[in-house]
Amino acid sequence: MRVAVVGSGLAGFTAYQTLRRSLETGEIAVFGTDADPAAAWRVRAAAIRQREMRSESDGHTAPTSFPGLAFSSVRRRRSLRPLLESVLDRYHPTVDEFLSHVERLRERSGWDESVVRRQVARVAAVEGGFELDGACFRHVLLAPGHPGLNMPEELRTDPRVVHAYEPHDYALTVTVVGAGLAAATEWLNALAAGAEVVSVRRREPVRRPLNVPRHYFSRRGLAGYHGLAPRERVERLRTLTAPSYPAGAQWDEPLERAAREGRFRVERSLNGSAQVICATGFRRGFRHDPLLARLVAEHDLETADEWLVLDEDSTVPMLSDGTRTLAVAGAPAQWAFPAADTLAGARYAAHRFLRRIQSCRTR
Amino acid sequence: MSYTLRGRVETRLAALVPVLLGACVLGAVLHRWWPVELVALMAAVGLFLDLEVWHRLLPYEPAWATAPLGAVELGALLAVVYGFGLHAPLLPALALFGAGWLAAFVLAQAGFPLLRLGYAEDGGELGPAGAVAAVAVVLAFAGSAATYVVRLPPVVHLSAGVHRGPLVITRREVLQGEPGAVVRGGIVVAHDDVQIRNVTVVGGRNGITVDGVRGTVLDGVTVQGAKLDGIHVRLAGVVIRNCTVDMLGNRLGQGIDISFNMGMGMSMVEGCTVVGGQEGITTHSSGTDIMGNRVSRTTGEAIAVVEMSMGMASHNTVRDALGVGLYCSDRSLCMFDHNTVIGTRPDNSAGIRTRRGFAVLADFQAEADLWRNTLAANPVATGAVTGGTLERTSRPGW
Repeated sequence: MRVAVVGSGLAGFTAYQTLRRSLETGEIAVFGTDADPAAAWRVRAAAIRQREMRSESDGHTAPTSFPGLAFSSVRRRRSLRPLLESVLDRYHPTVDEFLSHVERLRERSGWDESVVRRQVARVAAVEGGFELDGACFRHVLLAPGHPGLNMPEELRTDPRVVHAYEPHDYALTVTVVGAGLAAATEWLNALAAGAEVVSVRRREPVRRPLNVPRHYFSRRGLAGYHGLAPRERVERLRTLTAPSYPAGAQWDEPLERAAREGRFRVERSLNGSAQVICATGFRRGFRHDPLLARLVAEHDLETADEWLVLDEDSTVPMLSDGTRTLAVAGAPAQWAFPAADTLAGARYAAHRFLRRIQSCRTR
Repeated sequence: MSYTLRGRVETRLAALVPVLLGACVLGAVLHRWWPVELVALMAAVGLFLDLEVWHRLLPYEPAWATAPLGAVELGALLAVVYGFGLHAPLLPALALFGAGWLAAFVLAQAGFPLLRLGYAEDGGELGPAGAVAAVAVVLAFAGSAATYVVRLPPVVHLSAGVHRGPLVITRREVLQGEPGAVVRGGIVVAHDDVQIRNVTVVGGRNGITVDGVRGTVLDGVTVQGAKLDGIHVRLAGVVIRNCTVDMLGNRLGQGIDISFNMGMGMSMVEGCTVVGGQEGITTHSSGTDIMGNRVSRTTGEAIAVVEMSMGMASHNTVRDALGVGLYCSDRSLCMFDHNTVIGTRPDNSAGIRTRRGFAVLADFQAEADLWRNTLAANPVATGAVTGGTLERTSRPGW
C-alpha cells in the first residue's frame, strides 16, 4: 500500500476517483468513519431542504470535468435542455442527480474495497513517507472535511437556536443568522412554511453564481492569487470566502413578495423570534481540526492566520519532496485554491496529488 | 473556462490540428492550395484575436461565447480573404471554417478535458501535448509551404529577339518573356498550370492556343497577325490579363475566343485591349467573366456571350464596333454592368435588322441584365430579338 487518503467524505472520494486513473484499489487506503462518501453532505443538504446544487455541470466527483452532470441529466430527463443550460452556465444538477452520480461512482470504482473504517488521529512524517497511527505510506492526502459547525458563541446556550445544517422544522417566527447560500435557502424555506422571517446579518451578501469568481477556478486567476504576499493572501481569502449566493429571480421574487406582505425583513440583531437558525457555516481554520492542529504543532509547519500554508499544488511544502507527498484537500486547502471546499476544488487538489505521485522518483 | 494566454494559444493550435490535416487532404484531392491557405489564415486571425483581444476582454469565457466569437472571427477571416484576393470558393470555404469552429468547440468542451486531467484548472493549457500540437501545426504549415515552393513550375526565360514557332509547351512552366521577346508562328499550351508572361506572338494559325488543359494564365501577352483567332481557348480554364490582341485586317477571326469550358470553373479576361477581328472577345458554352477590357473596330460583335454561356461583362469599353457592341445570344445568361459602348456603326452590307448598330443586343432566348452601362452615339441603344430579353436590374451580380 503506497497511497493513503485521510477522510472518506466528498473531497476524499473525489481524490480517490482521480487516483484510480493510475492506481488499483489495493494500492490506495482511504481512512474514514463512514463508507458512504456523501453521508455528511446528505444530512446537511436535507437539513436545508436543498434541491439544486450551486455548482454547475462540472460540479461532480469524477476525475475529468467532462462529461459533466448535464450529460447524465440528458439521459435521465430525456431532454437536451440540461446541455443547453450548461452551455449558458445556467445548469444546476439536482441534489438527487448528484447523489446518484456519487453512488454510481462508488460502485464502479471499488471505493468500498479501499475504505478502512478508522479515524486517523495523527500523521507523522517519517523517513520516506508518513506514519498514520502505525501504518506507513509514501504519499498521503488529507481530506478531513469541515471541522464542525460554526455557531456564534453568544447563541450557544440559547434554547431557540438550531444550526441550519442540523435537521429542523420551522416555527411561526424565525430569525436566520447569516448571509450565504444556506441562509438564503433558509429564508425561502421558512417563508414557504408560512413563517415570518427576520434576516440578521453583519454584512450584505455578495451575489455571484459560484463560491468565488469564476477565474479563481483556473490558473488564470490563481496565478495572481499565488503571487500575493502572505498578508495579502489572507486578506484576499477573507474577501473571497465572504457569504454569497447567486443572483436571480428565484431568490429575489419570493423575498420581495414576503417583504411587501410584512413577512420578511432584515435586522441588525436578534429579536423575539420563536426560532433562531444559524446559517453560519462551518468553523474555519486548521486549529479547529485536531488532526491538522497536531500535524502543525508536531512539525512546526508554516501557517498564516487561520490557514495552513500550502504550495500551489496543495501540498505541504515542508513535508513534500521528490520521494514523498503530503497534500491537503477540501476546506483546509484554501491557501492553495480559494474554492477548495467545492467539488472543483477537491478535483484540483486530487489532480495535483496524482501528478506528484506520478513524478515521484521512488513511486 | 478561464483561459490563460498560453492555454488559449495551445487550445487554438491543438484544435487546429485535425482541421489542418483535413485541409491538407482536401488540398491534395482538389489539387488546390486554398484549403491550406484558408486554415493558415484561420490560425493567424484566431491567434491575433486571442493575443490582442479575447484574452484582454474575457477573463472568463462561457461556452455560449464560442458562437459570437466564432462569428467575429469568421467576419475578420472573410475580410482578410477578400482583402488578399484568396481565390477560395465561398461555400466550401465556409464549410471548412464551420468544421474548424465545431472541432474547436467540441475539443475545448469535451475532448481536451477528457484527455488531460486538470485542463480546466490549468486554463486550457495542455502541457507537453500543447507543445507537440504547436510543433505539429508549424510543421504542417512549413511542410505545405515547402511543398508549394517545390511544386512551383520552373521559370523559362525567353530572351529578347524573335523565336521560331510554333512553340508547344508540354510541361508545367512559367514562360517569362524578356522585353522584346517575340515568338513567330504561335504558341500551343498543352499542359496544365502553364503561365505565359510578357511574350509577343506574331502570326500562327492561332496566336495562342489553349486546348484541354487547366490553370493556364496568360499575363501581359501581345498577339498580332494570327490567321484565325488571336487567343483560342477550347475545353480549358484560363485567366487572361493585360493582353493586347491586334486582329486588324482579319475579318473572320476572333480576338479572344473561349469556348466549351463550362465544366472547368470560371475563366477570366481582364484588362485586355483587342482591336479588330470579327468578334473581339467571345465565349461559347462557357463561364467567363470579361472585366475592364477595351475592344474596338470589330466587324461582328465586340463582346459576345453566346451559346448557353453564363458570364459577366463589366467595366469594358467598346468603341467603333460594326453591327453590335455587347451581344448576349442563344440562351445565354449575361450580366452587363458599368460598360461603355460608344459609336457602334450599322452594318448594312447584309440587310439584317440585328446588325443595325445595337449597343446591346439580346438574341434567341438569351437573358441579359443591364446595370449602369453608358451607351452613347449608337444607332440603337438596346434591343431584344427572337425571344431574347433585356432587363434593367438594380441588383447586379448572380
